[in-house]
Amino acid sequence: MTLERNILLAFLAGAALLPFAVTDQYILHLAIMALFYAVLASSLNLVVGYVGEFSLGHTAFLGTGAYTAALLSTQAGMPMWVTIPLAGLVSAVFGFAIGAITLRLQGPYFVIVTLSFAEVLRIVANNWIAVTNGPMGLAGVGQTLFGDVAVTDKAGFFLIVLGIAAVALYLSYRFVYSNAGRAAVAVRENRYVAQSIGVDPFGTAMQAFVLGAFLAGLAGGFYAHYISFVGPEVFRFAFMATMIIMVLLGGKGTLIGPLAGAVIVTVLEEYLREVQELRLTLFGLIVMAIVLFLPNGLMGFIALRREQQAAKPTLNAAKERTV
Amino acid sequence: MTATTERQPLLRADDLTMTFGGITAVKDFSFHIEPGEIVGLIGPNGAGKTTCFNMLTGFYAPSNGRVRFKGQDITNRKPHAIARLGLVRSFQKTNVMKRLTVFENVLTGHYMASRQSLLATFFPGEAVRRAEREARESAAAIVETMGLAQRMNAPAHLLSCGELRLLEVAVALAAKPSLLMLDEPAAGLNSHEAGTFGAVLKTLIGRSIDALLIVEHNMDLVMSVSDRIVVLNFGRKLAEGRPAEIIENRQVAEAYLGKAAA
Repeated sequence: MTLERNILLAFLAGAALLPFAVTDQYILHLAIMALFYAVLASSLNLVVGYVGEFSLGHTAFLGTGAYTAALLSTQAGMPMWVTIPLAGLVSAVFGFAIGAITLRLQGPYFVIVTLSFAEVLRIVANNWIAVTNGPMGLAGVGQTLFGDVAVTDKAGFFLIVLGIAAVALYLSYRFVYSNAGRAAVAVRENRYVAQSIGVDPFGTAMQAFVLGAFLAGLAGGFYAHYISFVGPEVFRFAFMATMIIMVLLGGKGTLIGPLAGAVIVTVLEEYLREVQELRLTLFGLIVMAIVLFLPNGLMGFIALRREQQAAKPTLNAAKERTV
Repeated sequence: MTATTERQPLLRADDLTMTFGGITAVKDFSFHIEPGEIVGLIGPNGAGKTTCFNMLTGFYAPSNGRVRFKGQDITNRKPHAIARLGLVRSFQKTNVMKRLTVFENVLTGHYMASRQSLLATFFPGEAVRRAEREARESAAAIVETMGLAQRMNAPAHLLSCGELRLLEVAVALAAKPSLLMLDEPAAGLNSHEAGTFGAVLKTLIGRSIDALLIVEHNMDLVMSVSDRIVVLNFGRKLAEGRPAEIIENRQVAEAYLGKAAA
């Protein structure tokens, strides 16, 4: 718990120094995307790792957030400090509505229904031309932060997404290590025990689900401003696949896992750009290898090694661990 | 109402009936539990004991009959809502959170004591920190009471069968129940362990819990801890009384062993 917190703090502190050390725009862009994906993966992890159900419709919240921010910016000219939090809130409301239906389902039913919600939203975005401008999308999303301060360079965007990542990690950390987070784990591990100790499985899952939707909405809002264009693609399955790979690779049900997964996959994607067509095939193989050999991801693997290390040596070491 | 209106029983079940399709698992079963009592519920396999448990705790909705707990009608309430009133159960098939450690299991059991608003979850104040500290201390104390102190940080899936049963009771105790209901808690314990376990159970009454309902096949254990015993057979109440009376009861012996040859 404290170790995890310290690693997260060290990561954020290190990341905060990056724009001062690096001026290369390309690397900054990669860092921005890595953090953007880190927020997304962390938010998906709240559903996959703590509700314990596999959502294939998480792009619904990313897209809702992106469209919310884009509309508020292009139609009402609102600055980022308003649009991004509102994007999160609107996504949270969607999360509540979708969760109220889907969280009554489990297993494959949950997977299918969440997927269809994302698909429905994509079709709406594609066809409700009066609002979303259809397949043309919303272009020219503003880049003002507040007042007449505009974000003009990548370093500025990096600091904003870092701020969002800090908020996402803080909220996730608080949730996971709270009584509510323990209740969510109880439901995931054993529904019957959870109920017998007074946990309402539905209500608890809803908390994690809505929090996940809120964070995905923040990420979506940021994405709209950074790319300055939002089209129906934000609901597409490609984002979903990327998020899943990150969460699985890093380790679901841990806080560092999705973060590590996001950084690794973003960097890998760039490296593998040279092999264009093979890229997705390679990712497919990686996912298969993870599911087969590291079902709990990298973090699960590290935790296992640490357990084995601790179990081996002397009694003293074991005592130290209990203190 | 009945003759005992002056003092309300902690739990009172009236005419509980449960049918699954054409099969009647429990029929017109009535009984009650007084504060301070340990009640044993026994009966041959398939008598309907676990079905009763599930009806009392909201996991099954009874086909007929009512359950009252602390004077409130709890029939058809959700399991978690019943648990929040102070009626907590364990399960026949060992049910713990296998991937968590012993301590984490028991800490999780403190859910109700440390429930907090969403705002407090994200911005914990002194009250939340105190609740958290108290939950941790209480969890450690319960682990100690159940004799699992040495296994405090072991993941539950590494525990022996007997230790798992103890952990299960520890998790239930962590929920600070008023009435604790244990479904075959001594299954898999050897006779020495069962004896120790029985002694622990007796110390709980009045200290941690108000009353205990125990379903158990280990007759030595049931007879030694129970104040009163209810016998179920084929879904109906066969007998009720003090342990000594039940041991003497011909019908009970027949239900378990069959009729003696004439």
